[in-house]
Amino acid sequence: MLVLKLWNYIRGYVIIRVEGLTLEKFINMCTVRNIYLWDVKRIGNTTLEAKLGVRGFKDLRKIVKKLGCKVSIYQKHGCPFWVHRLKKRKMLLTGAFFCFLLLIFASTFIFSIEVTGNEDVKKAEIVAKLNALGLKPGTNRYFVNLRKLENQLLLDINRLAWVGIELKGVKAKIEVVEKMIPPDTINKNTPCNIVAKKSGVIEKIIARNGDAVVEKGDIVKKGDILISGIVQLEPTEENILVHSHGEVYAKTYYEATKNRDLTEIKKKKTGQKVIKRILNLGNIELSFNKSEIPYEFYIIEKRSKKPLQWRKIGLPVEFITEEYYEAKKIRVTISEADAKNYVHKEALNDILEEIPFEAEILNTQVDFVVKDGVLYGKVIIEVLEDIVEQRILQIGED
Amino acid sequence: MGESGGIKKGLAEILELPKDIVLDLPKIIMIGNLQIYIENHKGILEYTNDRIRVNTKSGILCIMGKNLMLKNIVTEEIIIVGEINQVGFID
Repeated sequence: MLVLKLWNYIRGYVIIRVEGLTLEKFINMCTVRNIYLWDVKRIGNTTLEAKLGVRGFKDLRKIVKKLGCKVSIYQKHGCPFWVHRLKKRKMLLTGAFFCFLLLIFASTFIFSIEVTGNEDVKKAEIVAKLNALGLKPGTNRYFVNLRKLENQLLLDINRLAWVGIELKGVKAKIEVVEKMIPPDTINKNTPCNIVAKKSGVIEKIIARNGDAVVEKGDIVKKGDILISGIVQLEPTEENILVHSHGEVYAKTYYEATKNRDLTEIKKKKTGQKVIKRILNLGNIELSFNKSEIPYEFYIIEKRSKKPLQWRKIGLPVEFITEEYYEAKKIRVTISEADAKNYVHKEALNDILEEIPFEAEILNTQVDFVVKDGVLYGKVIIEVLEDIVEQRILQIGED
Repeated sequence: MGESGGIKKGLAEILELPKDIVLDLPKIIMIGNLQIYIENHKGILEYTNDRIRVNTKSGILCIMGKNLMLKNIVTEEIIIVGEINQVGFID
């Protein structure tokens, strides 16, 4: 029936008051002539109120003439009357039109600048540059050349690798990607030493240029010179400086210790539970239950449902069901094998992150000690890897 | 109703046809005491706030109540809302 009401409103209807002695006849005549009446109310002995479509009202004239009753319009409703009223108030319409125009015009200006993706480069720096280039709050969006601006920004701020400027409504979104600055490489003509990157035992040394200072089996510490850039020529005993390079393989050791209690306290469900329902409306959280949970220990299981979601757009409504299971604390002893397994795995995980990808694993050693109910595990991995690092020769060092 | 009416009635009974259509009788549906729906009426005879009389093929339908209002009225049907106390046929 709402559709019908809406349709009537769009078409327009009037509330009429009919005065006469034969009102029943009036109603019957209306039905015969296909004039649709609704919400017919009797007000007094001789008066009747009814709703009637605009078109029906015109057809009413003949009936009124025949019956000799008085019809007056009490109220007018619906769109046609609105339009009629607005026609009289032309200035209101023009005002609304200009207001709308102004709104559209105002929305072509940039109101705020948002910068994303910057890590080292300060936002203020980017914004300041953009302001200088002509993109600032208050600039019209049709007066900025975004592509040109992007290029200019790339030129001005050296550390940026890519800039994307997008205008979203009144917001300018600036996305930047910073350059990954490669590590400083030493020029091939600059004399340098090769030093140890890590401590280890030398296994193999290949000096392509420069003098090898260490031999196989030597123990070196981090920072020790492996291949010297100062080469002594045999006959003249004169020193020349070279850009030394080469490969030095050494056994290095990585170790990690982990521990684990052999007894563990676990929570076990007793079967009792309490359900808590929460409704999230935007930032407002509405809980439907008592907020207190009657258990000392419990396990929470949370589920949430978001109705009416389409891609990322949706109502900010979320139904959350939290189930609180009553739990008991239970002391569980873990078998030593399991504990060892766990400790071994954890330690390995830690070590493997440190070992470089190219390194070759030679040997692993695992030691376990149980002390006061705690299992301590120590894992040592022996690795063969290149420990070369170039370092510029300081003139006057020698 | 006459003789032809009697034949029609018998026919409707034998063939199990709906009588409101075959005999041109009113179909009346009430929803509690709030609303009454009369299909196939023959015009309104009296209309006041507490009594409405509607002409039908099976006699005059008299509805008594309080604050009666004609919600809808077209050639085929009437919907009356209000507090209905009594519904009856008067010959």
